[in-house]
Amino acid sequence: MSIIEAKLNGRTSQIAIAKKIVAAIILITMGTLPFWGSGYLTNVFLLVFLYMSIGMMWNLLSGYAGLTSLGQQAFIGIGGYSVAVLTQVYKMSLIWGFVVGAVVGVVFALVISMPIFKMNGAYFTIGTWIIAEALYIFFVKWKFVNYGIGYPITAAYDIPMWGLYLASFAVGIGSIVIVALLLKSRLGLTLMAMRDDSGAAEVRGVKLYRTKLICYLIAAFWVTITGCLLFLNQAYIVPSSAFTIDWTIACVFIVIIGGIGTIEGPIVGAVIYVLLRQILYGFPGISNIILGIIAIVIIIAAPKGIMGYLNNKFNLDIFSIRRKIKK
Amino acid sequence: MQLLIQSIITGILLGGLYAAIGVGMSIIFGIMGLTNIAHGNLMILSAFFVLIFSTAMGVSLITSILIAIVLMVIIGFLFQKFLVNAVIDKGDTPALLVTFGLSIIIQNILEIIFGADARSIRSSFATVNVVDTKYFSISGAYLTNFIVAILVIVALTLIFNKTDIGRAIRATSDNTRAAELMGVHTKFIFAVAMAIAMVTACIAGVLVGNTFVFYPYSGTQYLIIAFGVVVIGGMGSIVGTLLGGMILGLAQLLGAYFFGTGNQILSGYIFMLIVLTIKPDGLLSNKKRA
Repeated sequence: MSIIEAKLNGRTSQIAIAKKIVAAIILITMGTLPFWGSGYLTNVFLLVFLYMSIGMMWNLLSGYAGLTSLGQQAFIGIGGYSVAVLTQVYKMSLIWGFVVGAVVGVVFALVISMPIFKMNGAYFTIGTWIIAEALYIFFVKWKFVNYGIGYPITAAYDIPMWGLYLASFAVGIGSIVIVALLLKSRLGLTLMAMRDDSGAAEVRGVKLYRTKLICYLIAAFWVTITGCLLFLNQAYIVPSSAFTIDWTIACVFIVIIGGIGTIEGPIVGAVIYVLLRQILYGFPGISNIILGIIAIVIIIAAPKGIMGYLNNKFNLDIFSIRRKIKK
Repeated sequence: MQLLIQSIITGILLGGLYAAIGVGMSIIFGIMGLTNIAHGNLMILSAFFVLIFSTAMGVSLITSILIAIVLMVIIGFLFQKFLVNAVIDKGDTPALLVTFGLSIIIQNILEIIFGADARSIRSSFATVNVVDTKYFSISGAYLTNFIVAILVIVALTLIFNKTDIGRAIRATSDNTRAAELMGVHTKFIFAVAMAIAMVTACIAGVLVGNTFVFYPYSGTQYLIIAFGVVVIGGMGSIVGTLLGGMILGLAQLLGAYFFGTGNQILSGYIFMLIVLTIKPDGLLSNKKRA
């Protein structure tokens, strides 16, 4: 081993240690936020983590698996309604809301995957949207979920703020861990081969359908869980808030602004999204217009988003998913 | 029986309106492979233009429609030239997301200016029954929709087949690179195509406003209809949109007849999903775009 190589190795290991320390500080600060921060700050970061989670999953689908969905609100609504129906109608404990929600979400994803996975590109995109819209209309007319009137979720008042925050924190950080581990795994290699040249990948034995389906199911599972928490935070659910396209709009903005196809992107995007929404709280329309303009400008000027741009410029590699050949 | 006949006739006539809604989207997809998510919002924007000119500014309805068409042509041309053309070469998703951004912007601007109230540009003629027999009746609005839709489709077919610009558009549609090599300025052709699509969107917006009430957020609903028409008829086929519109209209009205009026829209959506599943490229699709 030459001296230069040894020095380089030393430097990379120092950077690795520094990265771990910074990560630990951020995690501890964020994890203990409700015990030292104000209620307002806690609520803002609770939203950041929940939006980060749905953004991260949308990024997994659109940025890595080539599945641009505009129907993620279907899973958020399913999660919210599972919690509402089980705790309000059946008076079951909250945990069952999550369990049943996750199961229903994944089964629903599996069922709709049969038709929508036959569609390509734009057909898939709009197909997912039609399904979510159909689900909305169905819920408005469904007696079992109290039609369009919806439910208050009183179980939300039984849990303390810090409990909801920590659950959101876990879901947000969990989404990062899931996507990072997934990309480092064999499946991640498959995804990248698929993204670079799907034809060549298929010839080499990559199972495109199976790979995409696994990503879709993982995203469905995690988004449903996030949906449970989003509606516990709102404490009220109606079909128009559960299945609104606004959830997916948020995902798109978060991922585009932060950087599609990067792990850091949705984290940065979620912070910007939630802060902008808070600043323009009294003017929800204006914040959407500003986000729309920012998104168009970024797609044209910096298609890889803020983090993609910074990564290129400063050669950052925060969540390394690169593979190194063992010596 | 009476109701069934009425449902079938209304379904076919409604299909005319749906064809007018879908034809612009079909053109854009056929020519540049772009799914314009803002199509429904641009339609509703046109309806609001006509509403402003004809009520607030006191211009006659026909003049208002002409001004709105000119405005929409300019908007469509600029939108394509400066925004979509910048990303059209980078694959499907970036261009799709640009139109998505535009749709959010239009919808929210309309909501801020006009609030969430129902609007309409209904002419006195719209609610009159022009045909009224023992078995069925036809309202002025539905008949107008159907006739205008057929005129639009005939006009588009003539433009595409008989004019130079139409030939250039078809050449670009068949093979963009070859057309470019033959001296066609394809990016300009894209902008012209978007302008033509905006004329149809404007006409469709006026028809919708004359038939139903509309809200700033109605764009989504009509985007899905446009998409359904195009999916059933086959993306890029202009005559196909007429058939697609009628099939979708019939699916909705017959769905309402058999499963109750409340299920009209839901039957349309489910029918679309079934068609998408069985024939993902549409019933009349004659070519595939990669």
